Amino acid sequence: MSYLNLKNIYKTFSSNVAVDDFSLDIAQGEFISFLGPSGCGKTTTLRMVAGFEYPTAGSIALLGNEITNLPPNKRNIGMVFQSYALFPNMTVAENIGFGLKVSNTNTIEIKARVTEALSLIHMQDLGGRYPGQLSGGQQQRVALARALAIKPKVLLLDEPLSALDAKIRLELRLEIRRIQKQLNMTTIYVTHDQEEALTLSDRIVVMNQGRVEQVDTPSRIYNYPSTEFVASFVGHINIFPVSVIDGGEGIVDLSGNKIRSRKHMQEGAIPVHMAVRPEELTPGHREGANNLTGNIHSVQYLGSVVRIQIDVSGNFLSMDLFNQRDLSIPMVGDRFDVNFSSDSCWLL
Amino acid sequence: MRKGKLNFWSFFWPILAMTYFFVPLYGTLDFSLRMKKGVISLLAYQTVLADPQFIESFQYSVVMGIVSVTLSILLFVPTVYWIYLKVPKARPFVEIVSILPFIIPTIVFVFGLIRTFSRPPFLLTLTPFKTDILMAAGYIILSMPYMFRAIDVGMRSIDVKTLTEAGQSLGANWLQILFTIIIPNLRIAILSGALIAFATVLGEMILGDFLVRPAFGAYLVLVGRSKAYEPAALSIISYALTWIMLGAIQVFAKGSSSQSQLLGRG
Ligand SMILES: Nc1ncnc2c1ncn2[C@@H]1O[C@H](COP(=O)(O)OP(=O)(O)O)[C@@H](O)[C@H]1O
Ligand SMILES: [Mg+2]
Repeated sequence: MSYLNLKNIYKTFSSNVAVDDFSLDIAQGEFISFLGPSGCGKTTTLRMVAGFEYPTAGSIALLGNEITNLPPNKRNIGMVFQSYALFPNMTVAENIGFGLKVSNTNTIEIKARVTEALSLIHMQDLGGRYPGQLSGGQQQRVALARALAIKPKVLLLDEPLSALDAKIRLELRLEIRRIQKQLNMTTIYVTHDQEEALTLSDRIVVMNQGRVEQVDTPSRIYNYPSTEFVASFVGHINIFPVSVIDGGEGIVDLSGNKIRSRKHMQEGAIPVHMAVRPEELTPGHREGANNLTGNIHSVQYLGSVVRIQIDVSGNFLSMDLFNQRDLSIPMVGDRFDVNFSSDSCWLL
Repeated sequence: MRKGKLNFWSFFWPILAMTYFFVPLYGTLDFSLRMKKGVISLLAYQTVLADPQFIESFQYSVVMGIVSVTLSILLFVPTVYWIYLKVPKARPFVEIVSILPFIIPTIVFVFGLIRTFSRPPFLLTLTPFKTDILMAAGYIILSMPYMFRAIDVGMRSIDVKTLTEAGQSLGANWLQILFTIIIPNLRIAILSGALIAFATVLGEMILGDFLVRPAFGAYLVLVGRSKAYEPAALSIISYALTWIMLGAIQVFAKGSSSQSQLLGRG
């Protein structure tokens, strides 16, 4: 039995389908990210778990109990909002203790739990401050502590870092993961930032237009994307239309070049595209690999990485090289050979 | 603007504005002190304050003010909260409704009120108490533009929806959210709305006149018609009351938790 189960969830707003047949099993202590472009239904799905919206169809169960239509204040699910949503009239300590106070916990215990929560976020000395006297990063940490103080069964975070500066964002990201692991807290994290999803998650749910595209570990999402959308949304990728020579063997034709790929993943589907990541390409000719020749179209120097675009019969192939001081960077217009293994190339 | 080279006009306009405001006020004050020929005295004030009709009507209107403002708060805070939460699209419409008392002349409104509610099945003008119910209802409507606006501005300054959801996810029910999160953050808004509404009730003259109740506004009109020095004294007293109320808002606004309320966002 899964800890949290979402089964065939649909949500429509008048005629607009926001979430379309969403199913997911989450294990206890798991850190799940919902990743996808803006408007793909991440927030709506999260809000249905929280109880702020009710599904048009489908069911949600927590520990085997159906909670689909339970009001949010009866679910014991913690929520962290993008805008922090701290209560401006209360101090940090009062904010953190709020959930305990409304459930009539005695004052001694509230005090102990607030102290514990403050030390969890390393803000022991700031309990008496008002939210308006804190930085954005501090406010979001208080919001996290407030959600955790009620010892929720699930923690939900909706783009909690997107209002913060880049540096604070990185710091807080690590802190969220540390606290989540320390408490073994079952967590759903909504983000449109692939780097956040890849670094934080046990599993990522990639969503597009209300549908689940793929559910997998970060490395499998990156290395073995199952749809064209996932492949192009997560990381950089070369995707080209191809014609199939031998579907069973994974051999295709790219503008007259025979390409051998990893056998395609989807059973029965007819592949029409090949995909290869820029970092899988190597300069030069290599026997036994897929070899292509073209002209250098552009060279972009990105610091640690040099991104080179090669024009292979009208297909613009991106290649990433790690920067080294003695790296000889080709010039625009040069003839250039690249190769990649059949294992790094797959069909969609 | 550079320091040290202060512009003539930057002095001119404020001074002109203050002159426009304070000269008549000074004139009234001066006049109110000259009831006794040739000397400055408080005789006009003594006369006013000793008038039993003054005391009766003032007391009546203060009680009516407190009652109708309280009812108005109880009515408008939950209503506006509900609009923000559930039907935000209806807010512009409600805003227009709320200013109807500015558009419809008071006399038309009061006449309609009496025509409708003095008949069966209401018969609200038969006893003084029933008439007072009608008075309070009338006051609530007449002060609606101020009350709605004040609460609306307060609601807009906080993210009502997200704060409510935060409260819900922490296990709070509607009443707990309303009383421990929403209302404390609206304290100043409610207070300023209440004070303006209260001042409206004190100064309103048509309702009491038409319904034959001893309202302070109607008394002011009566005195204004029949006396010379006393109305001036009454005006000065009203000004003083208004300023005391404004001072009260300032004092409340400086309270410690309201400080966080002002700093609270962002
Ligand atoms: N309350 C609502 N009323 C109408 N449409 C909504 C509402 N909330 C979300 N939507 C629509 O549902 C879709 C998904 O929105 P959302 O879940 O917020 O996406 P995301 O969080 O992935 O950016 C969008 O098309 C959005 O316009
Ligand atoms: Mg969203």
